[in-house]
Amino acid sequence: MRRIGILFLVLVLGIPVAHAAPAGPVLGVISSFTGRFAEFGEQHRAGLAVALEEINARGGVRGQRLVLLVEDDTSSVTAALAAAERLINQNVPLVLCCYSSSITGPVAQYFTRQRRPFLVFTSSDDAITRPGSEWVFRINQPSSTYAEVLFDVFDALNQASGGRRPIQTVALIHGNGAFETAVATAAEGLAKGRGYTLVDKQSYDQGLTDFRPILNRFKARSPDALFMVSYAEDSVALMRQVKEVGLNAKIYAGGAAGFALPGFLTGARDAAEYVVTATAWTKDVKYPGAQSLYERLKRALGGKEPSYHAAQAYAGLLTAADALRRASLTDPESLRRALRETNLMTAYGPIRFADFRGYRNQNPLKMIAEQVQRGQFVTVYPQEAAVGRILFPAPPWDRR
Amino acid sequence: MEALVAFAQNLAGGLLIGGVYALIGVGLSLVFGVMRVINFAHGEFVAVGMYLTLLLYGYWGLDPYLCLLVAAPFGYGLGLLLERLVLSRLIDAPPDSTLLATLGIALVVSNTLHLLFGGEPRSLYVGYATATVRLGPVTLSVPLLIAGAGTLALIGALVLFLSRSEAGRAIRATAQNRVGAELVGIDTLAHHRLTFGLGTALSVVVGVVLIPLLFVTPAVGGTYTLKAFVVTVLGGLGNLAGAVAGGLLLGVVEVLGASYLAAGYRDAYGLVAFLAVLLFRPQGLFGRAVRRV
Amino acid sequence: MRPAEVIPQPAAFAVDRVLGWAAGCGVLVGIALLPQLLPGYLNLGIALLVLVGWATAWDVLGGWTGQVSLGHAAFVGLGAYTLGLGANTYRMPPWVSAPVAVLLAVGLAWAWGRVTFRLRGPYFTLSTIAVAEILRLGAINERWLTGGGEGIFVRELARPLGLDLFDRHVQYYWALLYAACAVALVAYLAPRRFGYQMRAVREDEEAAQAAGVDPVAVKLRAFMLSAGLVAFGGVLYGAYLSALVPHALFDLRLSVQIALTAIIGGRGTVWGPAVGAVLIVLAAELFRNLFASANLLIYGLLIVLVVLFAPRGIVGQWERWRVRRRYARSVAGR
Repeated sequence: MRRIGILFLVLVLGIPVAHAAPAGPVLGVISSFTGRFAEFGEQHRAGLAVALEEINARGGVRGQRLVLLVEDDTSSVTAALAAAERLINQNVPLVLCCYSSSITGPVAQYFTRQRRPFLVFTSSDDAITRPGSEWVFRINQPSSTYAEVLFDVFDALNQASGGRRPIQTVALIHGNGAFETAVATAAEGLAKGRGYTLVDKQSYDQGLTDFRPILNRFKARSPDALFMVSYAEDSVALMRQVKEVGLNAKIYAGGAAGFALPGFLTGARDAAEYVVTATAWTKDVKYPGAQSLYERLKRALGGKEPSYHAAQAYAGLLTAADALRRASLTDPESLRRALRETNLMTAYGPIRFADFRGYRNQNPLKMIAEQVQRGQFVTVYPQEAAVGRILFPAPPWDRR
Repeated sequence: MEALVAFAQNLAGGLLIGGVYALIGVGLSLVFGVMRVINFAHGEFVAVGMYLTLLLYGYWGLDPYLCLLVAAPFGYGLGLLLERLVLSRLIDAPPDSTLLATLGIALVVSNTLHLLFGGEPRSLYVGYATATVRLGPVTLSVPLLIAGAGTLALIGALVLFLSRSEAGRAIRATAQNRVGAELVGIDTLAHHRLTFGLGTALSVVVGVVLIPLLFVTPAVGGTYTLKAFVVTVLGGLGNLAGAVAGGLLLGVVEVLGASYLAAGYRDAYGLVAFLAVLLFRPQGLFGRAVRRV
Repeated sequence: MRPAEVIPQPAAFAVDRVLGWAAGCGVLVGIALLPQLLPGYLNLGIALLVLVGWATAWDVLGGWTGQVSLGHAAFVGLGAYTLGLGANTYRMPPWVSAPVAVLLAVGLAWAWGRVTFRLRGPYFTLSTIAVAEILRLGAINERWLTGGGEGIFVRELARPLGLDLFDRHVQYYWALLYAACAVALVAYLAPRRFGYQMRAVREDEEAAQAAGVDPVAVKLRAFMLSAGLVAFGGVLYGAYLSALVPHALFDLRLSVQIALTAIIGGRGTVWGPAVGAVLIVLAAELFRNLFASANLLIYGLLIVLVVLFAPRGIVGQWERWRVRRRYARSVAGR
C-alpha cells in the first residue's frame, strides 16, 4: 500500500517537470503522432523536418537557429489542450496545429481567448476561419473549396462541349464525419447554385462498408456525375463496388482525401482509373520547387509516398518562420500583425491571409484537381497548375 | 421489373453479407453458451485475421484463402493462450468480471495491432477482387460470394463437429449443465479452453475471408464485436442455428434499410432490432423460452 | 471473536491518523489554490476534475447499484449540445441550459431505464451500448437539430454575475465545484437508506425484493441521478471545448473511459472514481511524451490486471486491506 502511495506521489509531482523554455527563436507544433491519426502525424513530422532544415540552412530566424517544440496530442482533444497550455506557459510565441478538426477547433478557440497567434496548416473545417478570429490563421484550403474545384471542373467540361451540357445530373454519396459532411453540404449548395440536378444524396456511417445498396439506387437514376466524399478506408471499397455494381457515370469526382492518397491507387487498381480528385497539393503542380519538395519529403519518410499533409506542414513552418523574422518574439500583437502581412511563395503555393466571403485570415489558395491516368495521378486543373488534359467522359466499365 | 431486379440484387447481397455476420455471431454464441462469457474482444480477432492475411500475402504471396490453413490454427492457439492466462482465473467470478476482462483484452489487442502495423487503413487487392458473376439478372461479387458461401459451409462443418464428435458432444454437455457434465467425467475446464480457442479461430477465419472485400485498421474490431452481439442476441445467446438465422436476418435488414430508407441510419436498423429482441424476446427470435438470465 | 466496531483504537494509530488528516488537508488546499500555484496546468486540471465528476456519477449506477453502463457518453453529448445549441440557436444563458440539460438527461435515463432494466447484468450493458450508438447516429444524421457531422462552435455565452464562462480560471472552479458535489453526494447517500438499497440490489436482487426493496425503482433512481450528474459535467465540458463534434462527444470510447476510470479506481467507494481519474489523467499526461505509442496499450493492460488481481479497484483493495489489518491487529491483541 505504501508503495502505491509513493507511486502516486511520483506521478503527481512528475507533472510539473517543465522544460525550461529554450533561448532564441522557438515555435510550437501540436499534432497527432500516436493514436488514431498517427499516420497523418507522421506526414506532418516529415514536412516539419524538411522545412526546419531548409530554414536553418538559410540562416534560421535573424541569424539564430530555429528550435521546434513538438507536442503529441495522442489524437485526443484533452491532451491537445494540455499541450497548448504547456506551450503558452513556456512563452512560445506561435503555435502550429493539428490534424483533426475535432482537435483544432477547441484549440483554436483556446488560443483566441488567450489572445495568442495560432497557425492552422491541415485542418479544413470551414468554421475554424469562418468567422474565425483575429488570432487564428490558416494556410490550407477549407472544406468547401474541395467541392468548389470539382464543380469548376464540371463547368469547364460543360463549356468546352459547346451547346450541350454533358454533365447535368449529379448523385452524391458521403461519409457522415465532420469533413465529409462539410464538403457534401458545399457540393449540394453548388449543385443548386450552378444549375445542376442532384438526383440522389446518401450518407453512410463509418464502419463495415457495403455501399452496394446505395450504389444500386444511384445506378437506377443514371447520374452524369458521381460525387463521392470518403475517407481513405472507404474510398477503395467504394470505387471497387462502383465497378462491381456496374454504375457508369461520365465523371467520377472524389471530394476528399481518401481519393488522393497513394493507398487509393494500390487498393483500387483498375477501378481507380479516370477518377478526378480534389486535392490540396500534388508533386507535379506548377509552383516553384514542388518536385524538389516531393523528393525531400519522400526521403524524410524513408521512401514512403508523401501526402499533401506533409507539404502543408512544410508550408506552415515556412510561413511561421517568415512571420517570426518580421516581428518581435515577445509581443503577440506584433506577431499577429506580421502574420497578417504575410506574402510568401512556397512549393505548396502562394501564402497570404485575407478576409473574404465570411472567412477571416484564410489563405485564398486554390484547390487542385488531379485525375488517375494509367495508374498515376496527373494534375489536370486549374490551367495554371495543370500538367495534363482531363480525360472525359470516362468509358463504361464493360468497355475498359 | 427494374425494381424487382434491384430488390433481388439487394436481397442476394444482404444474404451473402449475412452469412459472414452469421459466422462472427456463431463464434460468440458458442463461447457464451458454453462458458457464459460475453467476449468483448471477439471482433478484435477478426482484425487479427485480416492483418495476418496481409502479412502472409505480403511476404509469401499466399492467396488469402490459403492463408486460412495458417490463420485458423493460429487463432485457435491464441484463444487457448488467452483462456489460460485470463479467463480460466475468472471461472466463478461474477459475469461483470469476465465482461471487463475481455474488454481489457480487446484494448490490448487493438493497441498492439496499432503498434505493429500503424493506423493506416490497409486492404488487399487480389486479381478477382472486383470480379463478378451473373446469376440470372443478378450480379454478385465473387469475393462476397466466396465469403458468404464459404462461411455457411464452415458453419455446417461446425455443426457436424458439435453433433457427431466426442469433443463436440462434451462441449454441448458443458453448455447444458456444467456440474452434470463434470459428474459424468467431462473435463469442463479443458473444454472451456477448447471452446474459446474455437471461437477465436472462427473470428480469425472471418477476418481472412473479409479482407479481400473490405479494409482493416486497428480500430475496426469494435464494429465487428457489435455486429456479433446483435446477431447472437437476435438468434438467442447460445443458440447456433439461431445465430445463423440472426446473421442472415441482420444482413438483409441492413441492406434493405439502407436501400429503401435512409442509408445514414444503416447500423441503427440492426441496433433497433437488437434492442427490440433483447426487450421483448430475450431468448432470441429462435430460442426456446428460458429463464431470464 | 469481537466484532470490528467495538475494537478501541490503540494509541499507536494516532500518529497515522494525524498524518493522514494533515496530508488530506494539504491536498485539498493545493487543489483549491491550483490556479494560483500552477497556473500553467488549468486545462489539465479542468479535464481531470470533469472526469472525476463523470466517473463518480457513473459509479452511482455502475458501482453502488452494480449496473455497468457503457453508454454514458450519450449524457455528455446531451449536456454539451444543450449548452451549445441553446446558446447558438435560442440564446439560452447557461444557467438555463444547464438545468434543461439535466432534466433532459434525467428524462432520457428514465425512459431508457424503464425499458432496459428488465434486463440483468451483461444484457443491460449490451443494451446501453446499443442505445448510445443509436443516439450517436441520431446526432450525426439530424442536422436540423445538431448541425450534423460537422458539429458546432459555441461562440458566445451569457455571463452569470459578470463571469466569463470561457475563462479557464472560472471553468476550473466550476469543475472543482462539480467534482466536489459529485463526491459529496455519494458520501452523503452511502450511509443512508438509498445507499443501502443500491447495495442490496447490487448484491442480490431477489433477496432485496424479499426485503421489500423494489429493484427496478432503485435502479431507475440511480440511473436518473447518474445521468443528470454526467449531463451537468457535459455542459461544463461543452464550454471547455467550445467546438463540439458529435463523433467525439457521443463516442463509445468515452463511455468506456469513464467506466474504466471508476473501475480501476474502485467501484462502490466514495473516493475510488476520483483516485482512478487522477491516476489515469496524470499517467496519460506523464507518459504522453515518454512512452508515446505504448500509452494506449498500457491502459488495456491495466484494466486486465485490475480485473484479475484487484477486482475491487485501487481504493476498494485499500479499504479491504485496512479492515483486514485492523482485524489482524485486534486478534493479535494490539
